[in-house]
Amino acid sequence: MTFSRQKHLSYWAFVLPGLLVFVAIIIFPVVFSLSLSFTTWKGYGSPTFIGMENYAKIFADSVFLHSLRNNLLIVAISVFGQIPLGFLLAFLLYRKVVRHGAFYQTMIFLPITISPVVVALLWNQIFSSSGIIVTIVRAATKNPQYVMEIFEDKSLAIVPILFVLLWMHTGTYMIIYYANLQKMTPSVLEAAQLDGASEGQMFAHIILPSMVGTIATTAIFAISGSLKAFDLIYAMTGGGPAHFTEVIAIYMYVNTFKYYKYGFGSAVSIVIVVLAVGLILLLQYISGKIERKFE
Amino acid sequence: MKRYSTVGKVLSYLLMISFTVLTVVPLVWMILSAFKPHAEIVRHPLMPPLSWYFDNFVLAWTQGHLGIYFLNSIFYSVVATVVTVLLALSGGYALSKFFYRSGKFIYMLYTLGLLITVHSVIVPLFIMETRLGISNTRLGVVLPYIAFGLPFQVFLSTTYIKGIPDSIQESAIIDGANYFQIFWRIIIPVATPIISTMFIYTFLGNWNEFILVLTLTSELSIRSLPVGINSFAGGMSRDYGLQFAALVIGTVPMIIFYLIFRDKIAQGFAAGATKE
Repeated sequence: MTFSRQKHLSYWAFVLPGLLVFVAIIIFPVVFSLSLSFTTWKGYGSPTFIGMENYAKIFADSVFLHSLRNNLLIVAISVFGQIPLGFLLAFLLYRKVVRHGAFYQTMIFLPITISPVVVALLWNQIFSSSGIIVTIVRAATKNPQYVMEIFEDKSLAIVPILFVLLWMHTGTYMIIYYANLQKMTPSVLEAAQLDGASEGQMFAHIILPSMVGTIATTAIFAISGSLKAFDLIYAMTGGGPAHFTEVIAIYMYVNTFKYYKYGFGSAVSIVIVVLAVGLILLLQYISGKIERKFE
Repeated sequence: MKRYSTVGKVLSYLLMISFTVLTVVPLVWMILSAFKPHAEIVRHPLMPPLSWYFDNFVLAWTQGHLGIYFLNSIFYSVVATVVTVLLALSGGYALSKFFYRSGKFIYMLYTLGLLITVHSVIVPLFIMETRLGISNTRLGVVLPYIAFGLPFQVFLSTTYIKGIPDSIQESAIIDGANYFQIFWRIIIPVATPIISTMFIYTFLGNWNEFILVLTLTSELSIRSLPVGINSFAGGMSRDYGLQFAALVIGTVPMIIFYLIFRDKIAQGFAAGATKE
């Protein structure tokens, strides 16, 4: 056996096992899903081709549109809430503004280890009529009948969920930014400090520009993560009451596994992928512009 | 040296402390409530337990079948994590040190996989597994765990192994070593730091996974802890004490895991967003 042949065989032996599992379970089903999305199928018999009908139905359904709105709010809370707050916390830790930074860091990052299902049930208890918030409000207002009505409001029911998402994920962004801030060469900041730059100037002119790339990458995670939000909301409200807190992933799940509309469900999942890719391309366009501005 | 105004410092502490309080208070409340019977939780929600009531844990563990779920969680997490990390390492080695043209394409395919969510494949996956007869089996759960773990782990291992100098491999080849020996005796030992990060990060994801087990299994005997805990939410029991006990059982092992491996977990998350 020649050497280059041995190299070639070794290469495939290393790469093929993983690749086969990956292609069989992810790439092939994506293609399968795309073709199913043009059909109507109940899970038995053969699928009937119906062209774009599923997609037309999706965008005409008010439940879907409300779910889409909820998803976009989740994207907004992560891009304009979790990311800036996470960055601010990382900056304060990096510049050692507070003492015992390691302790705060450990505490704020902790929710990441807890399963979304546990987080959901825990916060349901906190919001419940025998939970922390209601008990405190009842004691403070001397109104023993107080309950949280926010869940009954079609447009506001998603707000407590947004808060829990903020609680869960801000620490993750803090950790990511903190690790990347530590990679900066300290001499740059020291030199700026000697030149009399204020903390605010260093933040705006040195730290922020050097982090644009990292922020853009995390924003990509935030967007794709927000669009697939499922576990937490499924366990917290299941999308209810009356679809008020439904998101696209739950909409897909219910249509597929409750009503057995496999073709329709596939079309919804394709919409999720297209939305994610579209938002990410938009983001890369914007962050490219910002990066050029700083250069 | 005074770099910050007093107002700035006060605001900074306020921010740090409020985030910390928001983490600690719910968890402490959860643990304390788990030691109270249902009636006491409803009547005095904020009080610490009058006496330490352990029955919640016993009942949750037996009635909720948490023992089975716990063992299944361990099985899925350990098996899927070990296989994922091994496959990702061998793949990462092939993609970073063999310089074949197909490697670039395969790497791109994996990168694409980072964007694909569980939801976009769950319908066909469910159909495929039913047809193949592996739905409702442990294999049917482990395989998707591996597939969804791979893209990010391949990314981590490829970038790390790329940083190992080529000269080490070349001199080993001159000494007569074959590629498998190089992989086991050189690449794996040198890559230990990233391997532990990969292990812990993958384990965490597998341990908390919910939707795959929920859809691909229906038999109690092969479901995992998140699904088991979720069943405490609705129909099964309106007993808050049991629910809190189940939450504690699901949370405390992970908090201990976190306190031990905090730095490694942080590295896993940070590595994902590093711009090359």
